[in-house]
Amino acid sequence: MNAHFEAIQGPVSARKLGMLRDIDDCAYDALIRAMPLISDYLKNEIDLADLAGLLLQIASEKPEAARAFADRIGNDPSLAGDYPGLRRWAVHGLQKHRNDIECMLHHFEWGSPQAYSDEQALHDTEELLRERGALLHYLAGFGFAEFSIDLHEPDTDGRQTRAVTIDDGVIRYPRRFHGDTTDRALLRRANIAHVAAHLRYSPLRRPAGNRRPSLVAMTALIEDARVERLMVRDYPGLKALWGGFHTATREVSGFDFAGLSARLARALHDDTYIDTNPWVGKGRELFEEAASKGLDDVNAFDRLARTLAINLGKMRLEPSADRQPEPIYRDDNAILWGPDTALPEDAERHSEIEIVDALQDGEKAERDVEGIDVRHRYRYPEWDHRLSELREGWATVVEEELPRRKTWPSLQRLTQPKIILSASARVPDRAIRLTRLTEGDEIDLNVVVENVVQQRARLSPDGRIFCRHGRRRRSTSVVLLMDFSISTERFVPGSFTKVIDVEKQAALVIAEAMEAQHDRIAIHGFSSNGRHEVNYRRIKDFDEPFGEEARSRLAASASRHSTRMGAAIRHATALLEAEAADHKVVLLLTDGEPSDIDVAEDDYLVEDAREAVVSALSKRVRTFCVTLDRRADHYARRIFGQRNFLIAERASTFANHTNRTLTRLLAL
Amino acid sequence: MHEKLQSLIIEDEPYYRSSGNEVALFSAAMKRKLPMILKGPTGCGKTRFVEHMAWRLKLPLITMACNEDMTASDLVGRWLLDAEGTQWHDGPLTTAVRYGGLCYLDEVVEARQDTTVVIHPLTDDRRILPLDKRGEVVKAHPDFRLVVSYNPGYQSAAKDMKQSTRQRFGAIDFDFLPQAVEVEVVAHESGVTPEIATRLVSVATQSRALRGRGLDEGISTRMLVHSGSLISEGISPHDACALAMTAPLTDDPDLQAAMSGFVEAQFGPRP
Repeated sequence: MNAHFEAIQGPVSARKLGMLRDIDDCAYDALIRAMPLISDYLKNEIDLADLAGLLLQIASEKPEAARAFADRIGNDPSLAGDYPGLRRWAVHGLQKHRNDIECMLHHFEWGSPQAYSDEQALHDTEELLRERGALLHYLAGFGFAEFSIDLHEPDTDGRQTRAVTIDDGVIRYPRRFHGDTTDRALLRRANIAHVAAHLRYSPLRRPAGNRRPSLVAMTALIEDARVERLMVRDYPGLKALWGGFHTATREVSGFDFAGLSARLARALHDDTYIDTNPWVGKGRELFEEAASKGLDDVNAFDRLARTLAINLGKMRLEPSADRQPEPIYRDDNAILWGPDTALPEDAERHSEIEIVDALQDGEKAERDVEGIDVRHRYRYPEWDHRLSELREGWATVVEEELPRRKTWPSLQRLTQPKIILSASARVPDRAIRLTRLTEGDEIDLNVVVENVVQQRARLSPDGRIFCRHGRRRRSTSVVLLMDFSISTERFVPGSFTKVIDVEKQAALVIAEAMEAQHDRIAIHGFSSNGRHEVNYRRIKDFDEPFGEEARSRLAASASRHSTRMGAAIRHATALLEAEAADHKVVLLLTDGEPSDIDVAEDDYLVEDAREAVVSALSKRVRTFCVTLDRRADHYARRIFGQRNFLIAERASTFANHTNRTLTRLLAL
Repeated sequence: MHEKLQSLIIEDEPYYRSSGNEVALFSAAMKRKLPMILKGPTGCGKTRFVEHMAWRLKLPLITMACNEDMTASDLVGRWLLDAEGTQWHDGPLTTAVRYGGLCYLDEVVEARQDTTVVIHPLTDDRRILPLDKRGEVVKAHPDFRLVVSYNPGYQSAAKDMKQSTRQRFGAIDFDFLPQAVEVEVVAHESGVTPEIATRLVSVATQSRALRGRGLDEGISTRMLVHSGSLISEGISPHDACALAMTAPLTDDPDLQAAMSGFVEAQFGPRP
């Protein structure tokens, strides 16, 4: 132990280290052993606590990975100096290889955390993700609707892949973009249009056989030019779009393999470009000759590529190993070659950014194929407040199949609060017409005529000649989200009622009141057992009457596990999004702050829940919380906002409070 | 022909480029006095088709655009007052029934369902229109024909035709024209060269692939004609397409970006 390590010790880090020792003493020992080296890179106690916390999180998911992580830090202590990069790297490994411990260990032993602290790469990635929607729409316009956009894994030695790769159903982008001078949006559209050209016209995944690298490269170059020309026939503007990136000239590109290829690419694209190099001239001549006979004959173009490659070989020019596509919008053409390709294959076949916001098209639910576990699973992101990033697909919500039995004891009512939800606002609706009014917005012509006719016939008209449009009730959909964590087994302080029973009472009362008003209400409950298993129970669904069966399900619901609030709120929001109501509300009944077994960080789940609430609001779903925890003030305010929570101190008034809250909510 | 309807006769042939057998089908249905529904996306040529057919059949065309505030009286007519006393005024539907004409109810699902029920006795073999307020039953003129249209794409479940109304009609489904024909139409209507028209139609074809990705409907032929006419006025293609196609169609920035990309794929990057 050196002096600096002693200096950065303190109560906070000691607590974290203590927790770590309790969970996984091997990882703890490894960390302590490495500490003399690491401590030079830690500024203060907070850094140490952060590091211990991160290790704690890994250990709570996969102890083996934690040991690998600790050893890695020990071998390469400088990693500890960059906490955000380290954290991003660790989280990425935990998520991506969650089903494959071998890969995960490999990630922690050999992966490169440095790649995750490259500011430029992070910025580019963020930009790409922002544009992802628009790019996918753009690609769909060319007829390829089923693709997704993903990122390349960083190489083990930290080198970043530069080119775009097309794979089955995925287009992988580099994490870091070069070509900084150009308009990025333009470059990405040029990329996508080029990808579309390949997908439309190229023969894909041909076996490369024993072709030499120079032949492979030349075939790909000719193929690029061929499909682009075909594409320009239908989309003439693409020529100018791509043309902007052809910048090769004799002076800039030179005479090596890459330079000559780039010049040939330009010569094939641009008729006005003049190049005096005989090889480029020959390439152009052969290509135009083949093109004049028809662009669809792939073999003819293969033959001319071979001739060109042989000529290059005579000049003793070979492609370098790390050759990048030129011009920059082109892909690496890996899609052209089959399994025995001469080009390195991307070993990572899993999708990196999983676009499985549950309930989105296509990927609605994964079902286990074994036939044992047929529960629906949905994946939701979680908010990492330390990095200000969403961890995609981090939490898994599992919908439980509830026993459909009728023999459960029915709920005993404690009190019978009389509830009138009268405040539901009404909105104007022109389809409802109120006629024969003494005052109103418009005069009803038919009635006026009738009145005058009566007048002339010396009868007394009734004079109610106005009409106006009516109002209909604002429609409301409420998800009553009940916390079924183990803590709800406790008795409410100062009474002999369990928290869970109080929650059930409130649910009963509210559901009845809402049903009576023909509002749509669903009663759902949740409890979590780590991030891979957030159990979600649908006790009563929107389309189901609140009858005997739902009541007995409510009565039978038992409490267990922990409270991962964010995932449950996200799932409830997703369900509400499918509702066509004016008002959408998630009303959360709980007894304490969010917590889970695999989270040791104090604020993590609170911040995540806050993010879930905010993003729900952006989908016009409001969230409100009624809690029985007297000390809830500090976290409830953070999660739900100033006026969106209520602390009910006594069991007897909980149902009433909840109901009043709902009334107020719906009146807004 | 009643002189009231003389002005509603269409003199010059409205341009209509047929791409299928709809003209033959419609003529046959009209011959047998079968009421017709025309369905199809907005701006694909339903109204133009009706105008063209009215011209072909030499029938006066009486058009009503339906809306939520429309009452049965607006269709059949009402009593109005003058110095002498009350006087009955025929509504557009009654006029067509009494004197013979092609009555066209545009966007019929926008009208409330109970309003459209007044056409029921007209659309079965009775072919009568009872005017209860007047105590009269109008027998349909032999030249009376009824055509309604709507767009099944974006209408919600709340706005739909009653089954009892639907089952009285024959229907023709309209869709956007095949590419080559659409090019012809755009070039004819807007006055651009066929080459520009081809590019415009390609943009529209690409945008129609985005249906179901957040776009209710793709760029319609009508929008193409609009942007084509702007191009004929000397506006640059990028501006014309933004003004008449991408900007009006959606507010979603991602979709707008994608559609500007489609324009770019035809006309090159914006200079």
